[in-house]
Amino acid sequence: MLGTFCVLSAGVQRAWSSSSCLFMDPSSPGLVLQSQSTDVFQNLALEDWIDAHVDLQQRSILLLWRNRPTVVIGRHQNPWAECNLPAMRSAQVPVARRRSGGGTVYHDLGNLNLTFFASKKAYDRRRNLKVVTDALRRVRPQLDIQATDRLDILLNGRYKISGTASRLSRKSSYHHCTLLHSADRSAIAVLLRPSCPGIRSNATPSIPSPVTNLTDHAPSLQWEELLEAVVQQYSSEFGLTSSSQCVDPADEALFPGVGSMEAELRGWQWTFGKTPKFSVETQLELRDERPAARCSAQLQLEVKNGRVESCRVEVPATWLPERLSASLAQALLGERFCPHRAAAALSALLRCESGPLHSRLRNLCDVLVAAMG
Amino acid sequence: MKMAMRAALRCLSVNFSPRLPQLSSAAQVSATRLLCRSGAPRTLSTTSGQCTALKFTEKHEWVLVESGIGTVGISNYAQEALGDVVYCGLPEVGQKLEQLDECGALESVKAASELYSPLTGEVTAINTELAENPGLVNKSCYADGWLIKMTIERPEELDRLMDQPAYDKFIKSLEE
Repeated sequence: MLGTFCVLSAGVQRAWSSSSCLFMDPSSPGLVLQSQSTDVFQNLALEDWIDAHVDLQQRSILLLWRNRPTVVIGRHQNPWAECNLPAMRSAQVPVARRRSGGGTVYHDLGNLNLTFFASKKAYDRRRNLKVVTDALRRVRPQLDIQATDRLDILLNGRYKISGTASRLSRKSSYHHCTLLHSADRSAIAVLLRPSCPGIRSNATPSIPSPVTNLTDHAPSLQWEELLEAVVQQYSSEFGLTSSSQCVDPADEALFPGVGSMEAELRGWQWTFGKTPKFSVETQLELRDERPAARCSAQLQLEVKNGRVESCRVEVPATWLPERLSASLAQALLGERFCPHRAAAALSALLRCESGPLHSRLRNLCDVLVAAMG
Repeated sequence: MKMAMRAALRCLSVNFSPRLPQLSSAAQVSATRLLCRSGAPRTLSTTSGQCTALKFTEKHEWVLVESGIGTVGISNYAQEALGDVVYCGLPEVGQKLEQLDECGALESVKAASELYSPLTGEVTAINTELAENPGLVNKSCYADGWLIKMTIERPEELDRLMDQPAYDKFIKSLEE
């Protein structure tokens, strides 16, 4: 399926020895690129690279790309609030923070991403979306396709098939949108829910919408047909003389510096460390086996730059001495808000404490770790 | 005339970032300049020392310097272009910035717009009001909607920024 995504074969693609050949064709005011990669970090890095290095004053570019299953959050969002990180870890679905604003989306190979690059002056999201809606209406005129005020694209006035986000930088802009062709909707339901309860934050929230795939309503619409329609519509709207080009976003010769952009996007610091300050307030249910007993405790955490800035664990003194719950809270300070880091920090504490309280302490540690997403 | 000026200045609050009454952007800037003239009355307990008039960057940020600290915000032109700000992503206190470094982003319904440091220096304060109330950037871009404060490591950078008349001319040229 990957091979059919590229218009050119790999052999022809190697003719581009430098990006200047690729981007400097003066006869072509519009240029369409298709990414060979399905790695979200490589693709996001390519967007950043084009934005930073290509002169968009006289031309515009459309980049078509798709990713292996990934959750992508907006610039100022909270990944713990937006997606189920433990479930994603089990399913090996990474989370990526993009540089544009907006809400959280699930990407897989059935979702087409379109990025419209232009100068800041030429920034026009409606015009870009018109390329998509006109293309869809041309290939499947029976479909009811409309762009809304919020710049979503709805099918039958109800179901979202596309969401939009953008970024404005020094001189240029990019507007990207999703387009649901044949994505796994059940994954969306499972993965796009909070990792842990009790999060309070002023991070930008997502607006959940019912979604549908184009193929649910037009089963005969092939992926290649959709791409072709979009490329043709972009050509007529923006002026294009050459056909679309296949690019490898990991090609450092073609895109010098793209590797370090990718590394930054992939890193913990950008993905989690950039999360706006938030607090977690939740009740913990503690239990002992011998004799069977239970108790409730309160957890209160402040997380800044992805790390525990303050922590309070209120356990009734009859359950555990205050010095123990206090030292647990202390052990988490400065650690990444992460169940693995928490477990490591707490295990050191557990090793020091033997005796009758050990099992209760261990239970408290387990429950604390589980509360960290 | 003196009475009128005192009355106008009495409206301004006493802390460093003055709360300006609802003025047009041009009048807002003039009022700030009034505040900064060394003849300001003692009812206004600003920190001692001179401050300069507003300077502007080509990215539509403004800088107001007092006692060696620059307060930074975005201009009325910028806030109008942005639309309603929903989130302010600001740098950290203590962060060292070079001029033109990316130092955060303002997210609006329109886009996430990168913020660029107007000068080289260290961030000494960020406007924590914006966490709960990002709309201050739209409502009061020259006063309550200030973004960061920073030291001025290279005063010559400040000299090269546009003054008000030059900035007004710059905006006019963009609109053509």
